[in-house]
Amino acid sequence: MEIYLYIALFAPLVGSLFAALFGASPKTLITGLVASGLLFASFVSSALLLGHVMNGHIVHVEMMTWIATGDLYIPFGFVVDQVSVTMMMVVSVVSTVVHVYSIGYMSHDKGFNRFFSYLSAFVFSMMVLVMSDNFLGLFIGWEGVGLCSWLLIGFWYHKESATWAANEAFIMNRIADLAMLIGIFMIYWNLGSLQYDVVFAHIGTLPLAVTTGIGIFLFIGAMGKSAQFPLHTWLADAMEGPTPVSALIHAATMVTAGVYLVVRSNPIYTLIPEVGTAIATLGAFVAMFAATMALVNRDMKRIIAYSTLSQLGYMFVAAGLGAYWVALFHLMAHAFFKALLFLGAGNVMHAMHDELDPFKMGGLKKSMKVTWIFMTLASVALAGIYPLAGFFSKDLILEVAFVEQHYVLYGVLLATAGMTAFYSFRLVALIFHGDERHLEHGIHPHEAYTFMLYAMAPLAILAVVAGMMFKTPYYLMVSELLPAAQYHIHNHMTLWIMIIGTQALVIAAIAYAYKKYAKAVKVDLKVESGFFYQLLFNQYYIPKIYDEIFSKPYLQLSKIAWKQIDLKIVDAMVDGIANLIYQTGESTHTMQNGNLSSMLRWMVVGVVVLLVLAVAFTVAYNNAVNLHAM
Amino acid sequence: MQEHILSILIFFPALAAMLGFVIHKDSARAYGITVAAIEFVLSLVLWQWYNPLGGMQFMEMAPLISAFGISYLVGVDGISLFIIILSTFFTLIGIASLTEKRRIKDLIITLLFLEMTMVGVFASLDAILFYVFWELSLVPMLYIIGAWGGPLRIYASIKFFLYTFTGSLVMLVGMLYMAYLYHMATGSWSFSLLEWYRLQLPLEYQLWLFAAFFLGFAIKVPMFPFHTWLPYAHGQAPTIGSVILAAVLLKMGTYAFVRFSLPLFPDASVAFMFPIAILAIIMIVYTAMVAYAQEDIKQVVAYSSVSHMGVIVLGTFSLNVEGISGSVFLMIAHGVVSGALFLLVGVIYDRRHTKMMSEFGGLASVMPRYATIFGIMMMASVGLPLTINFVGEFLSLLGFYKQSHAYTLVAGTAIIVGAIYMLSAYKKAFFGNVTKEENRTLKDVNGTELLGLVPLVIVAIWLGVYPKPVLEPINNSVKAVVQLMHDKAQTVEAKERIPDLTHSTQEAH
Amino acid sequence: MEITLTHYLVLSTILFSIGLVGVMRRKNMLMLFFATEILLNSVNIGMAAISHYRGDYTGQMFAFFIIAIAASEVAVGLGLLVIWYKRTGNIDLDQMTSMRG
Repeated sequence: MEIYLYIALFAPLVGSLFAALFGASPKTLITGLVASGLLFASFVSSALLLGHVMNGHIVHVEMMTWIATGDLYIPFGFVVDQVSVTMMMVVSVVSTVVHVYSIGYMSHDKGFNRFFSYLSAFVFSMMVLVMSDNFLGLFIGWEGVGLCSWLLIGFWYHKESATWAANEAFIMNRIADLAMLIGIFMIYWNLGSLQYDVVFAHIGTLPLAVTTGIGIFLFIGAMGKSAQFPLHTWLADAMEGPTPVSALIHAATMVTAGVYLVVRSNPIYTLIPEVGTAIATLGAFVAMFAATMALVNRDMKRIIAYSTLSQLGYMFVAAGLGAYWVALFHLMAHAFFKALLFLGAGNVMHAMHDELDPFKMGGLKKSMKVTWIFMTLASVALAGIYPLAGFFSKDLILEVAFVEQHYVLYGVLLATAGMTAFYSFRLVALIFHGDERHLEHGIHPHEAYTFMLYAMAPLAILAVVAGMMFKTPYYLMVSELLPAAQYHIHNHMTLWIMIIGTQALVIAAIAYAYKKYAKAVKVDLKVESGFFYQLLFNQYYIPKIYDEIFSKPYLQLSKIAWKQIDLKIVDAMVDGIANLIYQTGESTHTMQNGNLSSMLRWMVVGVVVLLVLAVAFTVAYNNAVNLHAM
Repeated sequence: MQEHILSILIFFPALAAMLGFVIHKDSARAYGITVAAIEFVLSLVLWQWYNPLGGMQFMEMAPLISAFGISYLVGVDGISLFIIILSTFFTLIGIASLTEKRRIKDLIITLLFLEMTMVGVFASLDAILFYVFWELSLVPMLYIIGAWGGPLRIYASIKFFLYTFTGSLVMLVGMLYMAYLYHMATGSWSFSLLEWYRLQLPLEYQLWLFAAFFLGFAIKVPMFPFHTWLPYAHGQAPTIGSVILAAVLLKMGTYAFVRFSLPLFPDASVAFMFPIAILAIIMIVYTAMVAYAQEDIKQVVAYSSVSHMGVIVLGTFSLNVEGISGSVFLMIAHGVVSGALFLLVGVIYDRRHTKMMSEFGGLASVMPRYATIFGIMMMASVGLPLTINFVGEFLSLLGFYKQSHAYTLVAGTAIIVGAIYMLSAYKKAFFGNVTKEENRTLKDVNGTELLGLVPLVIVAIWLGVYPKPVLEPINNSVKAVVQLMHDKAQTVEAKERIPDLTHSTQEAH
Repeated sequence: MEITLTHYLVLSTILFSIGLVGVMRRKNMLMLFFATEILLNSVNIGMAAISHYRGDYTGQMFAFFIIAIAASEVAVGLGLLVIWYKRTGNIDLDQMTSMRG
């Protein structure tokens, strides 16, 4: 089985290096094919490992030593257990699909080979992240995906906005990474190891304060990768990258790494339920917060990005409330339908010549039938309508909140579910229904390559069936590792009211969205100029606030540090001392005016001074000795 | 040969430099490469012969002034071994990728002479010998900056010389006083470090001596607020000068902390730990901000190099094995990475004769290979895992976390502020559209330049993925230092702060 | 009144002060030599006196040395002085500025 582990892990790396060989040369189809093929190999290996794990075996290998000094010992160790194999499946499925899709999507791009090199490198990093058996190994993957995200967001590096967004994402993640490093330091100095099994076995022996500290710092790390408030602004800006990147990295895999971390560290978080509640509260807040921004946005990809953010909030609610398996399950289901949604959006963008404003589209269902079906399916799944994937995972989170008696969270999540349905179908309605507004701009849409649609098909199927088919076997598998709480509402009456109520709310929201946007689009100026609309449209002015209170002052402060402090104080002081010595020489060299009698006088002065000093020191020394003697 | 390998390593380049005067100037480059390559191979042989489990090795001793116990005493352990290899490696790379046209023969002779002094500093175990090499190393560097530098070279080189020289004079006084104390305690004179190690000094003597040594080392590092000579030196020095200065010469300061300050004055090290940590943190954050404000890409790299040296100092004063090993490893890493970055800046300077970032933009499409190598090195510089810097930075910060949580949190912002200035500099120079007409026709890196850069890229990744061959010998030697410090420590606080390794692994508490 | 060591030392100090003032105030080179002689002899008195009172003859031996050296110094110094006078026509100290720094 170890060989499959290595294939699953290293096949993407090989693909990346292979593509990198051709990095600077113009498009060569072979790089895309080889990278996709190797990804598929990784997927097959992951599937085999899944079968192995489902039979109750865990694969754990230690490849070699990485860092060993003092008492610190960190190997390159990899573990395939119930949690990591779930993540591996998600990552390998979505990334294989995205690779194949990208062959078509990027076919006219100059940086075709470079793109595949980055994309496969990302998959490798993600695999390291989920398969590692210690916290520092996870950190390798953590930073690795950050690097690849930087490369891919800034893929079109001639665009100012893209490179800006890339740097923003990297730096913001770095802030969170610092907290994560501190968490790792705390673990090491308190437990003497970073291996998951050792840490989790002994975490209970620590004082509660330390465990709380570890939990908080690790979660701050997770907040960065998973773009939780207040570190969320980078995710929407990251949509500057190519759309397959958004599908793979900023929807399905990388942003869920934070959830994975919390799920993986469940033995820590189980001990500190207060922190868990805080996580859940933040998650619910972000779910709502992001959904409200998605309601009014006019950028197709940003809407989907906010929806991702909102769904990540859901996952954190589940994880925070201790329903780790539910969080992981929603992570999986979400990966499938959200990637599908993004890839569909990619098709639309291609057809629309990179136009992103859905208000300039419309009626695309005629020319892009398959894409329309896929995106509608994905939206239905996202809205959580029975029997699609979202129903089983998202509604489960609502139930968790209810059963755990966090009724406020439940209420927030319920309202958010309504909003989710609304903005998803607002988007679908605007793009695929109504007048063909794009004709005014002289755009004649066409469907994507057939193979791209075939590539998307697996995701469409999974979006439909994943919830229904996988829930039970998945539960049986992960409950061996994660706390196996079933969240049943024992009162059947309540249960049915909840389910039907939720479904009704969601369907009503969908119907409203269709009614409002599927026919003619009326721009309601009164609403749009209102305070709330502007607030939401400007993302609560948070990016602006960050710019004003962090970026600009930092630059100003840096300039002051350089021009005022470094040059005018620190350096000037050094030069000042040098000048002082020089000036002293300048002003005292008149002493040596060559006049013998004045030189003699100076000599006498010097002798007298020395004599006085000698006497003074002798007296002082004698006094000191006498004092000492007494 | 085995017992004289260190002397050979020290004096071979000097002899070769003398012979260099009779070489014709057209073959000077080939001659320089050959000599540096032989020297590099010799240093690898040294590594091969080095026993990773042993202490001081390849010791040689010849009395110079026996009345005062001054002798020619050299030896290596895990701490100095890799810095010696770093010196020979960078001399080779520097000469191999030399693009300088003016007076190349003089330059190569100077570099070989410099190599002798560098190896000498790191191999010396006698304080006076150390001091002699330490000061001698100033001369060739002064000459390199003064003769091949930019328009302000005279100011820069004099500043460099006087500043570091002042510091080391204070250090010399400290050394003499130390020897005097040794004489008082034992009745015989000795400048041998290994003898000094055995001396247990009262705290107040330690404090004064520590301060005297500190000034000399701190200026060399250069620690805030003594760092201002460095931007001028880098700004005016030719590429090769900056490379050697950043890669090796700065390490003399941090190396001397580990070699002198810690084992000689354990109690003073503990007493001064927090003040120094504050200086180191200021160095990290403040110079990173200054780097962010720079308009000249070479200055960005120069200030970034100061910022990273702060992490090294912090790791050194964590006073435990993890931190000190990390800081010694980071010395190597910083050498490789900042050396490479200076080489890279040199590449673009050779083409455009300007270092202002506003003159560039969009270079990624004109010089893709250059942009890739620069990108890799930049990522190594911001401490991405699996690159060489990460191992050192992680261990240094990890080590200091044991001493203080809050300080480490502040110092850890190094990974944020580092990313800010590096990424924004990279963005300014490489991303965007090509705006200047003269940039459109720039040639990508050529063979000579790759000769210097590719090995550095390989080392940066190799040691990031598999640091064990280097880390293990370092670890063993550092353990000896820490144990010595613990045994010598007198104050209660020092006994607590410096771990006792004889009780082997710490218990989880 | 018995003459003690203190008296000798006071005499020596007074002579030394006179010599010192002479060295500082005089502009004539010849006078400077006289002042120097007074300085030297004040030291001689001190040495001889201390030597006598301690019963150690080293001091007196040194006094002889100093007398010998002072004599040779005067011989050389006067020689130089004569040459200087022949060259410049005066022996004024303020004119001797060739060692201006």
